[in-house]
Amino acid sequence: MIHDMLLPFECRQAKISYSGKLMADVEFQYLDANSPVVRERFNFGQFPIMLKSKRCHLQDAGPQKLKSFKEEAAEMGGYFILNGLERVFRSVILPKQNYPMSMVRNSFRDRREGYTDKAVVIRCVRKDQSSVSVKLYYLRNGSARLGFWIQGKEYLLPVGIVLKALVDTNDHEIYENLTSCYGEKYVKEKGAVGSQLVGERAKIILDEVRDLSLFTRFQCLQHIGEHFQPVMDGLRKESYHVVAEAVLRDYICVHLDDNYDKFNLLIFMVQKLFSLIDQTSVPDNPDSLQNQEILLTGHLITVYLKEKLEDWLQKAKKLIQDEIDKESKTFDFFSLAHIKKVMEKIPSKQIGASVETMLKTGRLVTQTGLDLQQRAGYTVQAERLNYLRFLSFFRAVHRGASFAGLRTTSVRKLLPESWGFLCPVHTPDGEPCGLLNHMTSNCRVTSYYDSQGKIRDFSKIRMSILSVLIGVGMMPSLPKLVKSGPPAVLSVLLDGRVVGAIPSSEVEKAVAHLRRLKVSAASLIPDDLEVGYVPLSMGGTYPGLYLFTSPPRFVRPVKNISLPPEESQNIELIGPFEQVFMEIRCPDGGDGGRNNAFPATHEEIHPTGMLSVVANLTPYSDHNQSPRNMYQCQMAKQTMGFSLQAIRFRADQKLYHLQTPQTPIVRTSTYTKYNIDEYPTGTNAIVAVLAYTGYDMEDAMILNKSSVDRGLCHGQIYQTETIDLSTESNKSDRGQRMFKRNKDAKSIHSSIDSDGLPYVGQTIYPGEPFCSIYDKTENKWQTNRRKGSEPVIVDYVAVDMKNNKNLLQKLICLSLLQANIRFRHTRNPIIGDKFSSRHGQKGVCSQLWPDIDMPFSSVTGMRPDLIINPHAFPSRMTIAMLLESIAAKGGSLRGKFMDATPFAKSVKKANGETKSESKSLVDEFGETLKSYGFNYHGVEVLYSGVYGTELTCEIFIGPVYYQRLRHMVSDKFQVRSTGPTDQITRQPIKGRKRGGGIRFGEMERDAMLAHGAAYLLHDRLHTCSDYHIADVCSLCGSILTTTFIQPQRRAVREIGGLPPPRAPKKVICRACQSSKGMETVAMPYVFRYLAAELAAMNIKMTLELSNGAAA
Amino acid sequence: MEGMSYQRFPKVKIRELKDDYAKFELRDTDASVANALRRVMIAEVPTVAIDLVEIEVNSSVLNDEFIAHRLGLIPLTSENAMSMRFSRDCDACDGDGQCEYCSVEFHLNAKCRTDQTLDVTSKDLISADHRVTPVDFGDPAAYDSGDQQRGIIIVKLRRGQELRLRAIARKGIGKDHAKWSPAATVTFMYEPEIHINDEMMENLTLEEKKAWVESSPTKVFDIDPNTGQVVVVDREAYTYDDEVLKKAEAMGKPGLVEIYAKEDSFIFTVESTGAIKASQLVLNAIEVLKQKLDAVRLSEDTVEADDQFGELGAHMRGG
Repeated sequence: MIHDMLLPFECRQAKISYSGKLMADVEFQYLDANSPVVRERFNFGQFPIMLKSKRCHLQDAGPQKLKSFKEEAAEMGGYFILNGLERVFRSVILPKQNYPMSMVRNSFRDRREGYTDKAVVIRCVRKDQSSVSVKLYYLRNGSARLGFWIQGKEYLLPVGIVLKALVDTNDHEIYENLTSCYGEKYVKEKGAVGSQLVGERAKIILDEVRDLSLFTRFQCLQHIGEHFQPVMDGLRKESYHVVAEAVLRDYICVHLDDNYDKFNLLIFMVQKLFSLIDQTSVPDNPDSLQNQEILLTGHLITVYLKEKLEDWLQKAKKLIQDEIDKESKTFDFFSLAHIKKVMEKIPSKQIGASVETMLKTGRLVTQTGLDLQQRAGYTVQAERLNYLRFLSFFRAVHRGASFAGLRTTSVRKLLPESWGFLCPVHTPDGEPCGLLNHMTSNCRVTSYYDSQGKIRDFSKIRMSILSVLIGVGMMPSLPKLVKSGPPAVLSVLLDGRVVGAIPSSEVEKAVAHLRRLKVSAASLIPDDLEVGYVPLSMGGTYPGLYLFTSPPRFVRPVKNISLPPEESQNIELIGPFEQVFMEIRCPDGGDGGRNNAFPATHEEIHPTGMLSVVANLTPYSDHNQSPRNMYQCQMAKQTMGFSLQAIRFRADQKLYHLQTPQTPIVRTSTYTKYNIDEYPTGTNAIVAVLAYTGYDMEDAMILNKSSVDRGLCHGQIYQTETIDLSTESNKSDRGQRMFKRNKDAKSIHSSIDSDGLPYVGQTIYPGEPFCSIYDKTENKWQTNRRKGSEPVIVDYVAVDMKNNKNLLQKLICLSLLQANIRFRHTRNPIIGDKFSSRHGQKGVCSQLWPDIDMPFSSVTGMRPDLIINPHAFPSRMTIAMLLESIAAKGGSLRGKFMDATPFAKSVKKANGETKSESKSLVDEFGETLKSYGFNYHGVEVLYSGVYGTELTCEIFIGPVYYQRLRHMVSDKFQVRSTGPTDQITRQPIKGRKRGGGIRFGEMERDAMLAHGAAYLLHDRLHTCSDYHIADVCSLCGSILTTTFIQPQRRAVREIGGLPPPRAPKKVICRACQSSKGMETVAMPYVFRYLAAELAAMNIKMTLELSNGAAA
Repeated sequence: MEGMSYQRFPKVKIRELKDDYAKFELRDTDASVANALRRVMIAEVPTVAIDLVEIEVNSSVLNDEFIAHRLGLIPLTSENAMSMRFSRDCDACDGDGQCEYCSVEFHLNAKCRTDQTLDVTSKDLISADHRVTPVDFGDPAAYDSGDQQRGIIIVKLRRGQELRLRAIARKGIGKDHAKWSPAATVTFMYEPEIHINDEMMENLTLEEKKAWVESSPTKVFDIDPNTGQVVVVDREAYTYDDEVLKKAEAMGKPGLVEIYAKEDSFIFTVESTGAIKASQLVLNAIEVLKQKLDAVRLSEDTVEADDQFGELGAHMRGG
């Protein structure tokens, strides 16, 4: 069946990119007269399409349809298929947009002479998510400079000039505005931010401008234009005035369109800066989630595409300009056809390709840097090792590659501000610890779409918020009436625009009102509006009311309990900025020592909301030592599980698959919620905690051989080899190579079918051929042979017919250009494989112990599947594992799944009473066990399988969910007796794949020396390495000048029938021209190499030979 | 040592006997013999199980090895396994393992032609030998309603999927692979001996007695409703968990009860997979055990035997 749709699974199989054509209309309009707008369509090439996005064939497809498209029934999309590989965008943390942040950084001092380490920084973001950062530096002389980057260089302007250039104003007005935050009567009051120095500084700022003899707005614009004309692209010929307007428009507070708004915001920023200097407010922490948001795929692509399109238009403009300058007859500027012809010279199709390359490599190719901290590492390959790993790629948030190399660890710190948004448990340990975080299960990110999936109209939303604010007593900033600041009135910023001021007495009421409207469905106020009310404080964060509606913010749901309870809708979405100043109760029983002084207005929905999906799956994680939960989060992601349901249609390079997975008896509510049963990752094994045979020492564990025989933890690795004949050879002789079997080579007929590809179901042993290729031009046969050390089974063979659809005649003669051959490795547990429970308790299988030798219970006759050592518990304190064992035992006796949701005890049930308050968990399980005739504490009396006598201790035994980790000996063992050697040094090569050896290095040598094991040392480093017998000339002491002399064959002596007599080996020194004094000496071959290298540098090495005794 | 006889005459008393379940007492012997019997029943009584699978067509969702593994685990009736040959020392087929003396051939041929999922079960395995067939678990009395669903499911097929294969079952023992183990569970317990100190017990109040009786997770003791005395109801329900001893200690009455395990008396529970009847399993085990001892006896005079068995060899010679 050939259909026109290119489906994602076909892309995966054919190793091509899932993309669509990007067409765009370019509008042409002549400025003179009222000429009409003409649209011309341009093709911008193939643009990668995210799966399940609006342009994807899978969009809105239900499970049935997805299955028919050979996808997972529960496919979530959100990634790209590029060259057959699935790549996801790695979200990165960015500074919060449109919020002026006060910062203290030593690097600010190095900007120029006279700068301090203090500044107010704002990342201004336009509607299309492109951003420009502006920094307001404080100078030692009391003035301030505005800094912004143009083409990789920072330009600094006095604020006064910018303020004056923005609007028609006078010195008095600026002074009034700047000093409005200072009122004499409030000086010592709570929340006062100004000091009398503010006036002085305002004067300095104004004096600076006057000293440059700039008085009017026009003069300021001229001044700016004059300085920026050389750097503003395409404006070289415009007047200073126009250039200055462009600078203000494109680089200063770009999120605002109106100059008055920009003016007001700058005033606010200067006030905040002065407050930072006067220490009436503290600097904002850029590492805290409070001041952060997230970079999403779509936004980066938009910004990147925008830049590429701008580049394209710039080039077009330049080309047209050149044509006009040439004044050639063939070009008519007023003919659209001509212009289009010129524009088509610039390759437009590269734009789609450049976006694809960006996603393929994760690297931004850009001149401006797009106001981003890093250039590379934006995408990663989404591995489908198991469901949890795959899921985590979409929940991961990286702090930024630039922080990875940093020696300071403050960025990695777990800050309380991230509570509820980033999981404290789910972060890897080691190098990326604290930098790579994961969103909690409740956390989401706001977007351009509302909850109904409709595009938001932000201007409308802002208008309605404004009207609400004015309704609750805000004075709008235009017309300018308010000449006062905190603590009397608070500035109100809506998405980085100073919209007005509100009396501090009214704020709380206004905030409560806004929150009520947020929750109610009827109002136009969006449910994810962030109401960042920073209250007045004694030198805390700069106060104000900051409202945010813009997209990529973190939000999470909490219950608003200040609302009347009869309102059914009380789930409010809050952001990290506002949450810091809110009173949110967590149902853990305590009030955090707040003593009713600050009554809670909100309540957490469930304490597990602070954990990520993966961390939420650990049963009873509240009973574990915390690092163990972190280890589990990592190990869950390396588990062999049921990786995919559509595994038949996949061509992934490597897939791990567990043959008979089970659903855990003990599970959390998250397990059910996320349907992990679709992709289970382990087996319920009967685990006995006991020191038996000694083979369970040091985190080793004993597996019951019979259990393994019966299928415990059996698994497979699916490995696909793609043979692409079109890329292997150069394009010129394309189609000359084909899959074909040599009729004469009978030996390969057993493993290769007549089409040159292997039989499905065939076992292929290492070194055997699995596919045969015929080269038509050279008339050569080639067979691909299996590498590796284990036999594999051919699982699936797929050939790509679509790629050469244009060459229909070739289809007939069955010349296929690409084949995917999927092999299956059976990987049943063997000694050395790694297993782990769900509590960070990993272990290596040390023995497959016979069933009859395992201890057995005399009551049930049960033998454990697995034995672990009791020493695994005391220092690690994984109490939850013991609880799991006991709970699972009770659960299996009762025939019920056990709920192991952490913090369950502190959560009230729907009817208001806490769950079995008096009883502890253990008591609950103990009673169950006892009622079924088992020991209260989960221990049992076992008998030695070898002797049949009682083991004189009680043994803790019960089912524990065990995961098989992907680390297997079969992939790791390295042995060698003899094998390939290095050409130059004749020492064994390194590398497991190539059959190399393991380095016996310096430290190992030291150990041998310390033991005096000279013979062993000699064996390792010489006999088994590069043993060499060299001929040395004792006359000149050289080893390089000696050569063999080939004795001349004399034809005369040859007698027919007799073998020629072996000529004696003759060695001669070329330097001495004699064969006297030739000696043979055993030495490492590298020594000869050293002599040769030294000779190349004109250094002669002389050996002095003597008898051992004489030395 | 010479002349001293270790010979004992163990007694077996059968308590309960069903096709797949047996419970019996073994007396007048020691733990080594009891355990040897247990070990042999689990690991060394031969049965027949599918060992080689040739797959002709497999378009099911499970891969070939998976199906082969599942087939291997299906218990086959192995009444005549004792008389069959191991294919490794079968003369008739040179260890090829495909002759009638050491193997049984099976065929399976299933294709789903309807929209309803087809369950391929052990019933679909066609045996070449009527004595060796997949075990029928259908208890007609209990499972009457669900008529077709009786065998062990091997794989489920959807429309158009097909499974066609030839399988060869061979004789083997559980030591080599668990699929040849005829025993689902074999266990024995030491018969407990329980002595209640009546004198001390009399001094307890009824509440105390009740609490003490309750402390055992299994129902070993009870209070006689008429006399109010604590009596042993079910000795064998005792699991050696020492709970009652601990309770007595906690009550400040150590020695309230004394429990010993009899060293020479065992109660066996044998559950069969269905491959062999439970009773036959025990007999076969004894037979295998005898053969093993014979093997030792046959090499009695050799020096190697003395090296290998030492005193045991001498013991056997002495009888």
